[in-house]
Amino acid sequence: MTRKLMKRSVLALGLGAASFTLSACDGVSFGVGYGYDPFYDSMLWNDYYHDHDVDIDVDVTRPDRPDRPDRPERPNPPARPKPPIAKPPSRPKPPTARPPAARPPIHRPSPRRR
Amino acid sequence: MHSLLSLGFRACAVATWLMGAQAQADTPVTYTDQGRALFRFEVPDFWTLRTGGPRELEDTALGDARAVSRVMGIRPVTDDNVWMGFVSPSRVSSIQGGLRYLEDIDKFLVKDPTVTSTSDTRIGGLPAHVVRGTGNRDGRGVNFTATVIDLPRDRVAIGVAILRDGADPSYVDALNAVFASFRSLQ
Repeated sequence: MTRKLMKRSVLALGLGAASFTLSACDGVSFGVGYGYDPFYDSMLWNDYYHDHDVDIDVDVTRPDRPDRPDRPERPNPPARPKPPIAKPPSRPKPPTARPPAARPPIHRPSPRRR
Repeated sequence: MHSLLSLGFRACAVATWLMGAQAQADTPVTYTDQGRALFRFEVPDFWTLRTGGPRELEDTALGDARAVSRVMGIRPVTDDNVWMGFVSPSRVSSIQGGLRYLEDIDKFLVKDPTVTSTSDTRIGGLPAHVVRGTGNRDGRGVNFTATVIDLPRDRVAIGVAILRDGADPSYVDALNAVFASFRSLQ
């Protein structure tokens, strides 16, 4: 009798612990979208085409930097075909951008009950 | 007889698993510059791709504009501890130039970078230089792997993979799979 009880309680505790462990692995819906993407933003910013005349005395071993590329000359684009969807009338833009709307997580089906 | 059957089952299971593993990353993405396809790689399943385009960014305080080539960034949908980005900067034609370009962006990518190893290798059949190191970002330690891949016709591709401390180490396989899928398109 006690043996059976012990078996059952071990099973119950084990299953409980397992469910906690498994739920810890569940992907958290954190950082939905690209509100803050530090690595992407940083990869955009470069000093490569920037003039470094200021610290030329400090960095004597540094090889000469190639010239900064000229701004490409853009010819006037040809008249664009009119897309089927018209643009909405422009609204006055507030000076401060609105923060991204907090969306509730997508509903997940609840675990099947027995 | 029973063991033979179970062996067969096990072989089938392994075969299915292998097929699944092979088909893991099959969303090819092509990096183009002014209509010219430069290279391609495959985005792992359940990862998200952010693509940019050529533009000029300006420091609002100093007013100096910088040319920026297209940057493509990928990361797992539900995990921002891992990030990988590709860029092929214009007018950078050699691995040496690529390393100089990296020097000029790494101070923005990672704080206090320390290079732990460098090596010459081949990625997608092309000569490449790999720089591995550590640093920190937003108060957390990061591991970075920066690669410069020598593309034909005087271009390079720069790939940076970043794993924040505490990231699931199995993502390393996904990152390596992206490098394994890298192909030049010229």
